[in-house]
Amino acid sequence: MITTTTTASRVSAVSTAIVSVFLLNACDIDGGDNLPRVPEQGLFMLADANRHEGDDSAQVAAAVFNDGEPVNLVGGDLFEARTTTERVLLKQGGPVEGSYAASLPVDDSVQDVFLDVVHLPVEAREDRWYPIDLLNTDPGPGELVGKSASVSFPPAVTITAPFPDTVYTSISDVIDISWDPVSAGDLMRVLAAVECTDGLATSSYGVVVDNEVQLDMDLDDGSEVISLDKFIYDLNIGSTTIQFISDAALVLLQELLNQLSAGNIDPDFLLKKREANPIESTCEIRLFLQRQRPGQFDEIFDSGRVSGSSSAEVIVIYHPPVPFN
Amino acid sequence: MTFKTGSRQRLFILLVSWMSFVADADNMQLDGNLLLTGMDAGSNDNFKSGRAITLHYNYYFNNWLAADAGLLLSGKTLEESSEDIVGDYRTNIQTQALLLGIKPRYRLESPYEFYGRLGLQYWCTELEVEEYFGPGIPEGSSSATDTGYGYYLGLGVAHYVTEKFIVLFELSHFKQLDVFEGDSAYPFDLAINAFSIGVGYRF
Repeated sequence: MITTTTTASRVSAVSTAIVSVFLLNACDIDGGDNLPRVPEQGLFMLADANRHEGDDSAQVAAAVFNDGEPVNLVGGDLFEARTTTERVLLKQGGPVEGSYAASLPVDDSVQDVFLDVVHLPVEAREDRWYPIDLLNTDPGPGELVGKSASVSFPPAVTITAPFPDTVYTSISDVIDISWDPVSAGDLMRVLAAVECTDGLATSSYGVVVDNEVQLDMDLDDGSEVISLDKFIYDLNIGSTTIQFISDAALVLLQELLNQLSAGNIDPDFLLKKREANPIESTCEIRLFLQRQRPGQFDEIFDSGRVSGSSSAEVIVIYHPPVPFN
Repeated sequence: MTFKTGSRQRLFILLVSWMSFVADADNMQLDGNLLLTGMDAGSNDNFKSGRAITLHYNYYFNNWLAADAGLLLSGKTLEESSEDIVGDYRTNIQTQALLLGIKPRYRLESPYEFYGRLGLQYWCTELEVEEYFGPGIPEGSSSATDTGYGYYLGLGVAHYVTEKFIVLFELSHFKQLDVFEGDSAYPFDLAINAFSIGVGYRF
């Protein structure tokens, strides 16, 4: 009888924990801001060549979407990025699903990058170990071969504020970003890579702040004020009850694991498995200020977002406020 | 007719002489081995283990050294499927080789013998690649064959079940040099490492 009761309570605890994990996942940070807004209809070209301050190479990424789905370049078709002196093939996976990327050597004299879809059945296979020039099933060029785009790098970005390692302690704070305005017509945006830790768990995510998130963000006017809550989220906002249940479930499940393992399990095992809540964590925010210049792409594409960009970064810190006891 | 009779006579004499030599000599050995192989083309290849057989003929010059002639026949060895920007692909390789070398041995008092093999090989290797690109794009396969030279090494232990019948355990290394050299800008050396078990007959 005692055994039955104990088993029933364990099953109940595990069930509660599983439900809570699902609910927690439902409250996860939405990474949708990192994805391109690809139209559901038509052929869409996405490309960017970004030169970061101090780097002697530009990061080039490109993709084609057909009716919202990425088009895989296969059979020897691939993107080629070139300047007047250098050339690379985009063979690595890019930041967006279905995109391709590579580092293209550049120097201060480089202004333009040309992107072409080419068919190179041997060079595309160069990472393979066997004689690719002898053993090669070539299906011939695909429909996108011959299509092209070109981008120009805008002037370099120089951030003048905030200073590196500036500390913020509330998500109500604002970050005053200042830079040297250079040209009219280029578009500005801020990207952030955020890494948080609460001492046990960690979380990391990316954020884009552009004109769709903040009005007039794209103006190259030398300053922008962005609220810290654009970068630091509260995972539990609006779900106090769920948070209470979830915390209780974690405690119960941890206790169950302790019993099952006869005390051999890390007492913080489950706490380390969950994601850190950014608002309650110390976060390093890498702010990338990017100046974008729209490029050109082939008329065969129904739409596209093709740009050359220059960027600079500054790291700021978020420390959560210390709660009063 | 005269020529035919003369040829037959010579062949007969040769055969009888060889048989009497064999019957008296007791200094030859035939063995057959089943090999569990691991192939390595020296790059990012990822071959599964394969199987092969070897047949060896040994002629003992003295108590510790023999000539070693043999034949290596491998089964089709598959590589794990891989995927890259071009598509999915998988290779398989199959090889045969003629072996010629020496076989030193050390016979213990007990019914055991340690031996080694060292020699050259003349190989014939076929490599096939199957490629898949996705829906709507024709898949295909291509293959090529090359021949060339290399070497082989082996270390083994033999157990004399009787004075005539032997069981062998051997570790072998076969190296085929410059496979597809001249045909391709991407030649490779093929190494075949193997563990084998076999049986031999002394006569």
